[in-house]
Amino acid sequence: MADFVMEARHVYKTYGRKNAKKTKQANGDTSDGAKHVVEAVKDVSLQIKKGDIKLIFGPSGSGKSTFLRCLAMLDIPDKGEIYLGDECLTKPGVDLNKARARIGFVFQHIYLFRHLTALGNVELALRQVLKLPKEEARKRALAALAEVKVTDCANKFPAQMSGGQAQRVGIARALARNPDIILLDEPTSALDPELTGEVIDTLRDLAREGTTMLIVSHEMPFARDVAEEMIFYDEGRIVETGPPSQFFNAPNTDRAKQFMTRIINRTTRE
Amino acid sequence: MFEFLLNPIYQMWIVQGLLLTVEITLFGVLLGLGLGTLLAIADIYGNRPIKVAIAVYVEFFRGSPLFVQLFLAVYTVPAILNIQIDHLFLAFLVFGLNSAAYQKGYMKGSMETILDDQMQAGLSVGMSKIQTLRHVILPQAYRIVIPSWTNEFCSLTKSTATLAFVGFRDLVGAGRSILINNMQIIPVWLVIAAIYLAWISGFSKLMDIIYEKKKIPGIELLMQ
Repeated sequence: MADFVMEARHVYKTYGRKNAKKTKQANGDTSDGAKHVVEAVKDVSLQIKKGDIKLIFGPSGSGKSTFLRCLAMLDIPDKGEIYLGDECLTKPGVDLNKARARIGFVFQHIYLFRHLTALGNVELALRQVLKLPKEEARKRALAALAEVKVTDCANKFPAQMSGGQAQRVGIARALARNPDIILLDEPTSALDPELTGEVIDTLRDLAREGTTMLIVSHEMPFARDVAEEMIFYDEGRIVETGPPSQFFNAPNTDRAKQFMTRIINRTTRE
Repeated sequence: MFEFLLNPIYQMWIVQGLLLTVEITLFGVLLGLGLGTLLAIADIYGNRPIKVAIAVYVEFFRGSPLFVQLFLAVYTVPAILNIQIDHLFLAFLVFGLNSAAYQKGYMKGSMETILDDQMQAGLSVGMSKIQTLRHVILPQAYRIVIPSWTNEFCSLTKSTATLAFVGFRDLVGAGRSILINNMQIIPVWLVIAAIYLAWISGFSKLMDIIYEKKKIPGIELLMQ
């Protein structure tokens, strides 16, 4: 039995910024585009044990989301290994669909299936991936919606819900398969400020139930209360790791200190 | 003026002509939808040779008159290959292949508006690409494509008039046959035009109703 639910070993991921390249060419610049390659993940390693709640934060564009997507193999790392339990996902020939079925993923921009109701969104994978019979899939989907308190939206389509409701349905969709871990990519940052509260409350509930979670977020009060470990990520690397108290009192690195000052000022101003 | 409508033989020609027009349009538009969907998927996910082959196919069928394609299929191809093929079958095929060339574009366009985020969402819950295409992408793309598909239906219906010039008695063919016996040019074409109009507007109305009924809530925002 593996010690970790999920582990990243020396993961690298770069991508070419096609748009940047295009504008350059439109300007008549003949640069080969090599300059525009973004190194989003540079030698990042991370271990997550069952029941862990870890929070990644850092400046936007630093590659946090790319790293999270690599963990779920929604982006394939250039180098390094991703383990889900004992299974190495970066080995050729691994059934990634099967692996992803054991990982819950919550998107910043929610990405619900637009043609399905909330219930349909949660049910689809239960039917198609877990192959549950109709009745059982429905029961489990309703239970997942109840868990995040959006039962009243069960028959609404994504466009008919508020952002906060939609994101909670997104969480229910990730939860319903009882995944080994849930990865959340800035689950509140695309929501109106007054709607983030309900999503944060849902995440607090999950935390209380011992759900294993890795969350990219800048919700600092939430981080202080819930996270066991905070990970400061900048320019494609993990700069500093420690308990919330370390970051809120005295971060070890100047870069983290700077960032915390800025983010705390912003929060208190609001 | 419209006495010719009372002639049972003319009536039969008109009814048979309408049936042929309807059959070939529906067949063409459905084969076009199936093949167009496959071509759209192949064009999105295929490698370069596949994309080039599809582009050549589409340019051929969009870039030459349907009448020429029909003529080639019915008279030239069997002669070159030195085989006997049912003309009607070849005509059906040409309409399907022609429509697929247009519908590939409509399908690809509507798939591309939703593909990015919805494919990721599908993969993230453990579905394969094919499962996501089947249960998420295509059900949305088909709903989005209905208005373009209705246009394609109207245009293909009118294109069936070319059948009369390769020896079939479609609606226009029926009109021509009637005119040979009866020189009432204006009344005959008025009747033929009215039948086209009734069929096309009736079917379009039906598709509009289906579109409204099946529309994905909030899809207008996406299409802006």
